[in-house]
Amino acid sequence: MTVRAIKGPGGDRVFKGATVSALALLALFFAVILGAMLSYTRWGPFLSALLSEEILFAVRLSLTTATIATALAMAIGIPAAYALSQMQFHGKSLVDSLLDLPIVISPIALGAALLIFFNTPAGAGINSLFVFAVPGIVLAQFAVTIGLAIRLLKSTFDGIDPRYEQVSRTLGYSKAKAFTRVTLPLARNGLIAATILTWARALGEFGATVTLAGATPLKTETLPTAIFLSLASADVARAIAVVLILVLIAAVALVLIRKVAGRGYPL
Amino acid sequence: MIKIRDLSLTLRDFSLRDINLTIDGGEYFVILGPTGAGKTVLLESIAGLHTIKHGEIWVDGVEITHLPPEARRLGYVPQDYVLFPFLNVIGNITFGLDHTAPARSAREKQAKELANLLGISPLLDRDVRSLSGGEKQRVALARALAISPRLLLLDEPFNSLDLQTAKYLRLELRRIHLTLGITIVHVTHNQVEAEEMADRLAIIKAGRLEQVGRPHDVFFYPENEAVSDFIGALNILDCDSCRPLGSGIVEVTCDGMHVLLPHDGAAVRKIALLPRDIYVSERQPPGPQVNRFKGTVTGIKSLGAAVRLEVMVGSRTLLAEMPHDIFSEMDLKVGQEVFLILKLRRMRVLESDGEVGP
Repeated sequence: MTVRAIKGPGGDRVFKGATVSALALLALFFAVILGAMLSYTRWGPFLSALLSEEILFAVRLSLTTATIATALAMAIGIPAAYALSQMQFHGKSLVDSLLDLPIVISPIALGAALLIFFNTPAGAGINSLFVFAVPGIVLAQFAVTIGLAIRLLKSTFDGIDPRYEQVSRTLGYSKAKAFTRVTLPLARNGLIAATILTWARALGEFGATVTLAGATPLKTETLPTAIFLSLASADVARAIAVVLILVLIAAVALVLIRKVAGRGYPL
Repeated sequence: MIKIRDLSLTLRDFSLRDINLTIDGGEYFVILGPTGAGKTVLLESIAGLHTIKHGEIWVDGVEITHLPPEARRLGYVPQDYVLFPFLNVIGNITFGLDHTAPARSAREKQAKELANLLGISPLLDRDVRSLSGGEKQRVALARALAISPRLLLLDEPFNSLDLQTAKYLRLELRRIHLTLGITIVHVTHNQVEAEEMADRLAIIKAGRLEQVGRPHDVFFYPENEAVSDFIGALNILDCDSCRPLGSGIVEVTCDGMHVLLPHDGAAVRKIALLPRDIYVSERQPPGPQVNRFKGTVTGIKSLGAAVRLEVMVGSRTLLAEMPHDIFSEMDLKVGQEVFLILKLRRMRVLESDGEVGP
């Protein structure tokens, strides 16, 4: 096809066709994967795997650790993202780049770095608390998700007109009070969306978790670890059960985000 | 009373330089200047939204230069009002009282009194996002007034309103100013608005105060080139005869035109009229032909929100200005014949026998 042929109204159709085809292929790709997995499922072993003590333990452990890690990520991420978005200070761009690291490096590398830290004099004292233990799962999930949480929260704070805070200051509110009474309510939808995405990301975390906390059944076995252990022991039915649990949780999280975004405040 | 002494402030690529200004208690003071002149930065500095390193700001004998905004008790209405979208109208109005007045009922009572003063009582339960521009402005005013401020700072309060609403609200704001007797500092780029509202005004350009005075003095006697550039060209007519008609009205002949104007005293030698005080009509206006002249459009120049026409009347060119939307409706062209109406009450005597200047 020549360049001339894709100009004009005909060219628009070709362009639209190309983009929609890419989208359709992508949707097909995931539908085929999910369909193949379901077709592979034998429902008897699937249900017994789903209700097994090990999987129920993994579900409880994953939900608990992901929730604690998300709460920590929000407790630290909200003030940190606000500082990055609204304040000027020396070394801001360095800190900003450093916080991108957990997003771009492999989680397993992050887990390895944490493991090594706990074997240095600085970390040796609290080694037994985190290494191959449940708090290690929380720490790994926190370390992997905090970068994402801060990115999402920062973009929310970036979108808030600083004049709202300024007006509230002139109405008698201190900076801290203006933040809690004005900025947080304005950021409400962004905060909810960031919390859900961070939680979903923590729930699916595997690389750093398995490196730091190990993969001991009924001790540090989270849902992603359960998939790994099931495949390692060729228990496909159990692997599929866990994958479907994760798919279901992800779907619920996405529906919730859509709902929140759809109710957004037009600022 | 506000006193600003030697205030200098640099914000990235913009600077306020050596601002010295005194605004009297109860005065309606307008800071007028083109976009980017530093009007808003000056207003925000008074409100406490910038850290001041050079200079002082005093309000009612107390230095507030380094006080945080929450300790200043100054009512601030920013441009576009910035109402809190997560609160309804009454929530916005009482926002500044939430941490002061003890009881909710007391706060709501005060909000209702203010709503009554501003004519927004029926709106109290409304979502602020559903309000019109004029309603938003009143809510923002009520919110600022609720804290019983020592003065009111208004940043371009009529900017996002249509012409009719803005005109009505200007009268309303004047009424509120008279009722409350509060000092108002009002920032605008609009000369008509400034002239109509101000007891006194200051012209600011490129971060520097260029002239402070009564609107009449500033518009007709600009002290320097920066002010006259911003105000724009005046129509100045040399007059060679002056005949009193009684009741404080004289008829003067200026450049061949017979003009009536209010004046008592010595013979008029020179009169001035702002271009915006000359109406342009495509058809001959009805009524007595006083201060009405036929001319030909010789030039049309866009000045942003306004359009300036050069109209040849006899041997002399007069400048007339009109808002852009009115110009678009009239479809005027160079060479077209038009009628000019010189507003009698807006003419100023610049020179009379034995008297020059303000």
